[in-house]
Amino acid sequence: MLTLGHYLLASGALFSIGLAGVLLRRNVLVVFMGLELMLNAANLSLVAFARFNPLNGLPDFDAQSFVFFVITVAAAEVAVGLAIIVALFRARRSVRVDDIHNLKF
Amino acid sequence: MFNALYLELFVVLLGVLMLLAESFIGRHTNRVYIALGGAVGLLVVLFLTSVSGVPPEAASWPAWNFYSPDPQAKIFKQIALAITILVLLMASDFIPVLTKFLPAEHPNAGIGEFFALPVFICAGLMWMASAVHFLMIFVAIELVTITFYILVAYQRRNLLSLEAGVKYLILGALSTGILVYGITWIYGVTGSFHLETIALRLPDVAEGDGKALLFGFGLVLIGILFKVGAAPFHIWIPDVYQGAAAPVTALLSVGSKAAGVIVLLRVLECGFASPMLRAELATALQWFAALTLLVGNLAALPQSNAKRLLAYSSIAHAGFVLMAVASVFGSELTGPAIAFYLGAYLLMTALAFHVLTLVTASTGSDEISAFNGLSSRSPFLAFAMTVALLSLAGVPLTVGFFGKLLVFIPAIQAGMLPLVIIGALGVAAGLYYYLKILRAMFWLLPEEGSHIKIGKVSIAVLSVLATLILGLGVLPLPLMGLVGYY
Repeated sequence: MLTLGHYLLASGALFSIGLAGVLLRRNVLVVFMGLELMLNAANLSLVAFARFNPLNGLPDFDAQSFVFFVITVAAAEVAVGLAIIVALFRARRSVRVDDIHNLKF
Repeated sequence: MFNALYLELFVVLLGVLMLLAESFIGRHTNRVYIALGGAVGLLVVLFLTSVSGVPPEAASWPAWNFYSPDPQAKIFKQIALAITILVLLMASDFIPVLTKFLPAEHPNAGIGEFFALPVFICAGLMWMASAVHFLMIFVAIELVTITFYILVAYQRRNLLSLEAGVKYLILGALSTGILVYGITWIYGVTGSFHLETIALRLPDVAEGDGKALLFGFGLVLIGILFKVGAAPFHIWIPDVYQGAAAPVTALLSVGSKAAGVIVLLRVLECGFASPMLRAELATALQWFAALTLLVGNLAALPQSNAKRLLAYSSIAHAGFVLMAVASVFGSELTGPAIAFYLGAYLLMTALAFHVLTLVTASTGSDEISAFNGLSSRSPFLAFAMTVALLSLAGVPLTVGFFGKLLVFIPAIQAGMLPLVIIGALGVAAGLYYYLKILRAMFWLLPEEGSHIKIGKVSIAVLSVLATLILGLGVLPLPLMGLVGYY
């Protein structure tokens, strides 16, 4: 039987993988995928909390509708983010984080 | 009484109208009228904000579960509207630089959008000021952040701007992910997203859930402190501020910070309802405030780029605000002190960035060396910049002095002596790095002797701002009354 703990563990793992991707990977696109993974970790735990803390026998719809907002916002973020990354690629012919170093101390 | 819910809708409508104007007016029509129209529209909303509230017939609307029209929200909305108006006027002086870096079929392409996007940001900032529900907080913050991604990377032919855009995108999205994950844990423990309901349920949370609650609030705090620009979550600020266009930087430093601070205050007010969290959150805040003060003031010392210097100065100012936030339950005066500080910060930042915009538009550079000999190239700009810098440094007879004074009072009342000492040292360090620009303006010789031309609207804006800074520096009572001291 799956319990809330299992889902939270899975969501925690997703969040950690995403965070590790952001911190360790050098390709901006992969970094961006890591960021999306972090948002989806939040979605998974929201749905799990809604399912396991029912109100009147039904899952809590507050949390489930929150998930739709997160998905929508993530989509908007991707639309803008990929456009910026494409513009950067056109200007530099590279999407590696190491090549982005004009601004510094 | 004007229904407060309509304020933001009006602002969004105004933004859409500006976009429509951009697409329907002729190719060769001057786009500045769009900015001026937007500024006038926002001025109307600024007036409506002061008469807004909950009309009796709308009191039962479920929308009030998400949206609070309290006086504090009103002040922060007025700050958001005021800085957006000033930024629109500033942006119309920035057109010569902007067109240089935009790939365009005709010289006016892409300028109207540059004026419309700040208006959408303003709506987001206003929603942030009123948000009392985590859903609303999240969506409002994202409206502001995603629009800022576009604005920061707006100069598509400018590598620095693109680089700043990518850095802001990655770190902004990271903070969003952290914020949302924190919200889910707070929801998991308390079963609600509504700040008031959470505050009611927090005292009854079982001992075993304390760790989960602390984890959730910690992540949410990190997410918000990122937006405010507090150390150690400030790493994006210098790069993004330097790479973005000067008007965008001004909006980012005042609007984003002010709205972040009110969200921070609301979340803290909620978190402090839990006896388990109270001590931890208060200590963490004091550390963040001390670190922010140190990093902002010390890292500003060696800077040679004016925008980067102002970026570190904005981190330092975030430190002073956080010092007041940390005293939030040790003193009654915190709320008004923070609002006064941000109001003063709005005036002096807008003035400094407007002068910077004009200097950049004329010299093509935003290094401190671009200010060399400004006193002979344009005595008026040199005077305005002097007023702004003295006020940022907190010299008496400017409004910045009273701002600093008022945030130190609650910190002393709350008995946070180490923090007060660090703050005082920060003020002293500030004098040095602001003087660097003063020295360039008055003592160094200009590289090129060209006189800087200023439009009539800009002269009026700069004069009003300088007068307000000096006037409120002598007699701060009107602003104190506005932010709720009496």
